[in-house]
Amino acid sequence: MVGWEVPIGAAIAFAGGAIGTGWAQSRIGAAGAGAIAERPETSGSIIILEAIPETLVILGFVVAAMILLMTG
Amino acid sequence: MDYGYINARMRGMKSRLLSRRSLDDLIMKPDLESLIADLENSPYREDIIEAKGRSTGIACIENALRQNFIRTFRKIQNFSKQEPEAGEYIAIFLHRWDVQNIKTILRGKNIHTTNEEILECLVPAGELDEVTLKELLKQPDVRSVIDLLATWKIRYAKPLTESFAEFWKSRDLAILECALDRYYYTDALAAVKAPTYNNNLIRDLLALEIDVVNLRTVLRMVRDSVDPADAERYIIPGGKEFDLRKLRHLLTLPAIDDVVRALVATRYRFLSRIPEAAIRTQKISVIEKELERYLIREGVGAFLLDPLSVASVIGYFWAKYNEITNIRIISRCKTADFPVENLKEELVYV
Repeated sequence: MVGWEVPIGAAIAFAGGAIGTGWAQSRIGAAGAGAIAERPETSGSIIILEAIPETLVILGFVVAAMILLMTG
Repeated sequence: MDYGYINARMRGMKSRLLSRRSLDDLIMKPDLESLIADLENSPYREDIIEAKGRSTGIACIENALRQNFIRTFRKIQNFSKQEPEAGEYIAIFLHRWDVQNIKTILRGKNIHTTNEEILECLVPAGELDEVTLKELLKQPDVRSVIDLLATWKIRYAKPLTESFAEFWKSRDLAILECALDRYYYTDALAAVKAPTYNNNLIRDLLALEIDVVNLRTVLRMVRDSVDPADAERYIIPGGKEFDLRKLRHLLTLPAIDDVVRALVATRYRFLSRIPEAAIRTQKISVIEKELERYLIREGVGAFLLDPLSVASVIGYFWAKYNEITNIRIISRCKTADFPVENLKEELVYV
């Protein structure tokens, strides 16, 4: 039987990644919108840049999953 | 305050400014017509096509450049609206066009130039739009222009009304112009008093401009051998390098070359590189040009500062101003058949 600290730890790992991603994407999104407004041809690069912070939330998810699977 | 959006747009707009190579191509054009044709293939296309319908030759280029400048800064103001702080900073820089326009109207009225000629010299990029400026132009003389500004409660009426009696006695328009400048800079410096990064940046640039304006005044006063006590009235407080005591000392110097020598210990030591022959002839236009170049370089240098601040807007303001000045110089020189080799020296590359 796992204690309450395991799901809380997994939640923190996931939430940290999600918050970090959200913050990074908001900043990149604002700057990206400005760049696309002036130079529409940069939209491809901006979409890639916007997606890069997703790695943070994926990492958070993996860590959370590992916590649950390895201690469960 | 998120400057990410504004900064990205400013950098996008900067990338469309004419490069050194494009300017060199414009210089090589044999005449004004080919220069206009070349500008039609540049970001000025829309404005040139519009101006071509109304005017030809040099007037066409002047109109197009003016319209482009106004359109560009209206655009910046519009997309900065969501960030009130950025909007305030931009307004500080655009208010100088209001001051410039009022000065132009007062000058025109003072020498009784036609309204059409004055209108051609106006750049309604600030708070006072074209309709307001046209109404001011309809006034018959300097006094009526100031009265109308006061009736409309436009802020610039205050310094003009206060110094009008003095102007009326001497009929020297420099009194009104200096009052306007002093009001603009005092007002702008007061708006950026709080010690934040953006405020410090703008305060530094304004103080630098005040230094340059004061130095120009000193040079003119020394050239015309004006009594230092009289000349002091035209000094604007708030400079970066020169306080009133230092400027008083410069005003007591007998000749322009003495002033240039006295500046060796300051950031304006680059003036000593100007050929002595040019200074000895008491021609201050060469020195003024160097000071203008210095100001433009410092202004455009703001691009290298924190991108998440108002720095990129300030850098763009100066870069755009410089580009338009360069194109104007090229077009004027093409009209006057100025040699290409000398023309390059007249431009400021940043």
